[in-house]
Amino acid sequence: MMIKAIFYKEWIKTRWYWLLALLLSIGFAGYAMLRVARVYSMKGAEHLWIVMIQRDAIFVDLLQFVPLFVGLALALVQFVPEMHHKSFKLTLHLPIRATRAVTAMLSFGSVLLIATFALSLALMWGYLQSVLAPELWQHIILSTLPWYLAGLAAYLLTAWISLEPTWKHRVINGVIALLLLRIYFMSPAPESYNSFLPLLAVVTLSYSLLSMLSLTRFRDGRQD
Amino acid sequence: MENVIECRNLTHYYGKRLIYEDLSFDVPRGRILGLLGKNGTGKTTTINILSGFLQPRSGECLILGEKIGEMNPLTRRKISLLIEGHVQYQFMTIEQIERFYASFYPSWNKAAYYELMSRLQVAPHQRINRMSCGQRSQVALGLILAQNAEVLVLDDFSLGLDPGYRRLFVDYMREYAKAENKTVFLTSHIIQDMERLIDDCIIMDYGKILVQQPISELLGKFRRYSAQVKEGFELKNTEGIYNPSVIRTSLELFSMKPEEEVKAQLACEGISDLTVERVGLEDAFIGLTGKY
Amino acid sequence: MIRTCKIFFGCLIVLLLLWQIPSIYNFFAVKPTDTPFTLYSSVVGKFAVLQHGEDKKMTYKDHTGGEYTEDQFDSILPTFYYRQLITDGRFPDSICGRAVTPRDVQISNFNMRISPLDLNAPKIGVQQLLESMSGRVDLTLPDDVFRITDSGIEFVKMATNEIDDRKSDRFTEMMLSKGFVFPAYRMSGNPTDRKEYDEGYVMLDANRKLFHIKQTVGRAYVRAIELPKDLVVEHLFITEFPSRKWLCFMTDVEGNFWVVERDSYAIKRTEIPQFNPEAESMLIIGNMFDWTVRVNRANEQCYYAINADDYTLIDSLTYSTPNKTMPGLKFTTTKDKFVKPRFVN
Repeated sequence: MMIKAIFYKEWIKTRWYWLLALLLSIGFAGYAMLRVARVYSMKGAEHLWIVMIQRDAIFVDLLQFVPLFVGLALALVQFVPEMHHKSFKLTLHLPIRATRAVTAMLSFGSVLLIATFALSLALMWGYLQSVLAPELWQHIILSTLPWYLAGLAAYLLTAWISLEPTWKHRVINGVIALLLLRIYFMSPAPESYNSFLPLLAVVTLSYSLLSMLSLTRFRDGRQD
Repeated sequence: MENVIECRNLTHYYGKRLIYEDLSFDVPRGRILGLLGKNGTGKTTTINILSGFLQPRSGECLILGEKIGEMNPLTRRKISLLIEGHVQYQFMTIEQIERFYASFYPSWNKAAYYELMSRLQVAPHQRINRMSCGQRSQVALGLILAQNAEVLVLDDFSLGLDPGYRRLFVDYMREYAKAENKTVFLTSHIIQDMERLIDDCIIMDYGKILVQQPISELLGKFRRYSAQVKEGFELKNTEGIYNPSVIRTSLELFSMKPEEEVKAQLACEGISDLTVERVGLEDAFIGLTGKY
Repeated sequence: MIRTCKIFFGCLIVLLLLWQIPSIYNFFAVKPTDTPFTLYSSVVGKFAVLQHGEDKKMTYKDHTGGEYTEDQFDSILPTFYYRQLITDGRFPDSICGRAVTPRDVQISNFNMRISPLDLNAPKIGVQQLLESMSGRVDLTLPDDVFRITDSGIEFVKMATNEIDDRKSDRFTEMMLSKGFVFPAYRMSGNPTDRKEYDEGYVMLDANRKLFHIKQTVGRAYVRAIELPKDLVVEHLFITEFPSRKWLCFMTDVEGNFWVVERDSYAIKRTEIPQFNPEAESMLIIGNMFDWTVRVNRANEQCYYAINADDYTLIDSLTYSTPNKTMPGLKFTTTKDKFVKPRFVN
């Protein structure tokens, strides 16, 4: 019941942005698919397949940083209003354990984000599987997964930075976050992350623990 | 009398700057206690400690018998918190915020909230960030009334309010607290109207408590004395005297001692034609803390 | 809970430092070692070394210290500088007692690069099998791709994204009849139309038996190649050089380097010392007399001169390239195209 109310609050904050994020994600994914469809109709399936096999083309490079920005902005939309005039105090005063409240907020955002990303991936899969062999569409989808994980990481890390009460630590956390986000963009080679993906996913999710540190610092009354 | 709020030996510093040392006070059930002081004397610090957003260097606070840091989250249902500036979730409308909070409090009184909201000149779908500070104060007040907590902690409720809304808030709060036997701890830097609201006051100066007593007792004893003196006059014996000041030839001082004692004390310094006045809370506050 | 978070944060910081400090140090403090351009000269029987001198002038030497002029240098490496020699009208009638024409030199020259980056890389599971006897001069790319499954070879029509069952069955049956056991352990091919001829693929089957598979006039050509007893092949490198002398090069599990000759399918071992293609890169510059084989090892760069006819080791030369990088956590290396955390020296 109380958790549901927190979801309600998060929903009020994020619903318009979510619509935008959804349009943006699906829009970019759709645009990438349109480009593939144009190559397909103008130069034929053969050209499409051979370019993929011989030149490692995956046609979706323009999506690389989209999830990153979508995730980062979601965290800002969700957590900046909490820090505005320290409204976060209201959340922490609710008759629910603070860690549970923050976990509920982060879970809400993560699920929203994952749903957005899943829809974009589903859209791409829907089209690609009709024109490409499984090896080829899997090649494309697997190559995009680190970017989507980066989106989730950007969300959780931005939440951590936003909830941090002092500017000094925000800057330090920002530098750490930048380094951590670099890990998702270490190589442009398609599918190069495959074996690292499961571990990377676990590490990404555990970034949610960092917000608890900000929460503790907020409650201890740290200020600049 | 049962103490709803107990603070023992609070000491806090910001960095190396001492805010106060060994601050102790209690708030008994059903009383309205105002913490008054100039800016920077630690009012907000105390509120933050009480509402769990600051860990004091030493000492502890209990509300309803539970230590703040280790409080069962459900106990917070019995505590209302008003944040400085009547801050509420800016992104919600009047309706949304009521629906949101209702889920957290089993004895939520929706009618009390809407009763107050109906007097506001705002539409139910108006977002809080589009409201004036006065309107926001009414929303915050409505939420406090609806929550129906045992203890109310109000941080500088007067901040940003024009006199009308301030008076409205004060009257509502007094009426409500007395009718429902609520315990209230509040701070304010504006002293006007406070007489109408609080039962007891703590007046703080930098690093210490100046006065801690019921308002009626304070105002019953506190007097302003004025007299004409020669230019350059300086009071020698200042025992029991607050903030004596000489502006050209006018001497002004304050005291809580019986009038006879003060008159006798001043007579020794050659002052005889004393004017004695009772003062209101605001003047008493200035008398105690000084103008600077 | 908070303790767990703090421990997690601490670990994160330690890992970031283990990653960043060495990488910053290596970026600013470590300069790569330069080694001179080196080629074996059968004419003088020595390694010829071309080096930038201190005054930025080129010096032409051999590895025993003998000095040459630029013209002399061209002459001792006649197969490498044959175009310069032709331009100067200095191309000889014979080299090392063998009569040669520029055309002979051109056809027998080859370069081969083997890099761990190519082996340790993600691969798409489908490839193309060209028609190697189309009757046309130029090769053309086929309209299908193939994959090797656990039970056969499958051709997929690109235009329709559908499996060509008839062709798949034909090829699968042919491979099975020649003793191929699916799936393939390794395969090597060069499916491009920018080459002179096509030899299809060399494959190791599930039992590491060697096969040569190509498509001739739409039919499957499958040849089981008898391997010497006890030879366990690890990596295959199809050659398709203009000389058409070899089908492929191979390395075995012990690091020996082998060639498979094209016409006879004869398998011969070269005297190139221990080479691990998964960790070391190799460059072969070959001509009709000798191969100069460069192997980049951990702390040295080795040059081997190999006799082009019997693959014996003629000579060798080693440059020390000490690795001065600070060890640390890395996500990418120069030895593979994978991103994953590991400690690297």
